Amino acid sequence: MMLYHPKPDRFNLSLTVNGEVVEREIVTHLRLLDFLRDELRLTGTKEVCGEGECGACTIIMDGKTVNSCLILAVEAHGHEIITIEGLANMDELTDLQRSFEDHHAVQCGYCIPGMVLTGEKLLDRNPHPTREEIKHELSGNICRCTGYHKIIDAIEHAGDTE
Amino acid sequence: MRYYSPASLKEFFKISSQCPNGQKTFLAGGTDLMPCYEQGTPLPDHLIDLKHLRDLHSISVTENTLIIGALTTIQDLHDHPLIQGEFVALYQATHEFAGAQIRHRGTIGGNICNASPAGDLLPPLYAFDAQLILTGPQAERHLPIHEFILGPGKTALLENEILTSISLNRKRLRSQFQKVGLRQSMAISVVNLACTWEEDEDGFSMLEIAAGAVAPTVLILNAFTRAYLENPKKLPKLLQLIDEAIAPIDDIRATANYRRMVLKNLIWAFLTK
Repeated sequence: MMLYHPKPDRFNLSLTVNGEVVEREIVTHLRLLDFLRDELRLTGTKEVCGEGECGACTIIMDGKTVNSCLILAVEAHGHEIITIEGLANMDELTDLQRSFEDHHAVQCGYCIPGMVLTGEKLLDRNPHPTREEIKHELSGNICRCTGYHKIIDAIEHAGDTE
Repeated sequence: MRYYSPASLKEFFKISSQCPNGQKTFLAGGTDLMPCYEQGTPLPDHLIDLKHLRDLHSISVTENTLIIGALTTIQDLHDHPLIQGEFVALYQATHEFAGAQIRHRGTIGGNICNASPAGDLLPPLYAFDAQLILTGPQAERHLPIHEFILGPGKTALLENEILTSISLNRKRLRSQFQKVGLRQSMAISVVNLACTWEEDEDGFSMLEIAAGAVAPTVLILNAFTRAYLENPKKLPKLLQLIDEAIAPIDDIRATANYRRMVLKNLIWAFLTK
C-alpha cells in the first residue's frame, strides 16, 4: 500500500532506470515501486502483497534482484535500476523470455515480470542450474495460478536450441 | 519525513543527536521496517539511513576472529567462503533465509537489532557466542549477543548507539542449523535451532544448543546439554529439561505444544543420528 506521512518532505532524486538517468523531485516516503509505476509509468513491475512476500514487484538494483515495495525511492538515489521493460534489447526478447513463451509458462501473467527477472539473474550467475537450484532462487516469487512446473521448465531450458 | 543518509559515523552521531528521541528510526535493509509501515505503523519524522556508512559493510578475518560489519547483507554472508567453511550453521541459516530478494537487502545487524524471537540468524549467533560491538558518540562497548537481546523487539542499545560489527571466534566448531516452518521458504520459523559441538572417539566433548521461537529470546539449553554430556543414555528422560527451559506461545503459526514437540524431535533426531 502507498505510504503516508502527515509532514511530507521533498527530495531531489537522481538514479538510472533502464540505462537512462532520471531526475525527479519526490516525497521522501514514496516507495520505489510507486515511483516506477506512477511517476515513470513503468507498470510492468506489479504490486500484489505489498510486504515483501510475493516477489511481483521484483526489479534489479545494482545487479541484484530486490523487492521494490520494500525500498523507499530515496534509498535508490544514485543507484542503477532495471525493470522488466528494460530487459529486452529493443524489440527483441531475451532467450529466457522466449523460453517462457515456448513453455507456456505464463498463466494470468501477474507474477511473470518478477519470475523472469529472478530467472535472468540466476542464469547470469549459473547458466545451467538444476531444478532444485531454480526452485531455491524462485522461493521469493509466488505464483497463485500454481504454474511453477512450467516456469521452472522455462528457466531450465532457456537458450536450448531446438 | 526527513531522510538522512550519513556517510560517516561522526556525521551519523551528529544527525542522530539532533533528532528527538521517539521520532527517529534507523534504517538498514528495510526488510522488516517496510512491512510494518505498509501494515500501518506510522513512519517516523526522521529516518536515518545507515547504508552509506561504508565501514559497516565489510567482513574481515584475522587468525582467531571473523569480524562482520553490521550492514553485511544475508547474501554477502552466504557467499563468504570462511562462513561456509567454519561457521556452517550460520551459512545454513543464510541459505534458508527468506527469498533471494530479501537476502539481497536484509542485513545481519538488522536481524539482530530487530530482536525477533524467530530471527533465523540468531540461534547460530548464540551458539557461536557472537560478541557485538556497539558504538556510541563517545565510546565503544562489547556485549555477548545473549546480553544484548532482552525480549521481542527489545535490545540493550543505548540512545544514539548503533551496532557496528559482530565478532566470532574461529574455534573450528562443528555446527548445524535446522528450521521448521509452515512452508519451506518465505515463512517465519515455528522453531529454529543451531547446535555447535566438538567430538572425539567417545562422542561429544562439547555441545551447545541454541533454540529460537520457543521463548521471548533465543535460549541456550545449558541444563539439558550438561546433563546429556554426563549421561547420554538417559536422553529420553532428559528431554524433560528442555520442556522446563522453554516457554513457547500459541500464535498464528503454531501452538505452544506443537513447538515443544518439534523442538524435542529435532534435538532427538540430531543426537541419535
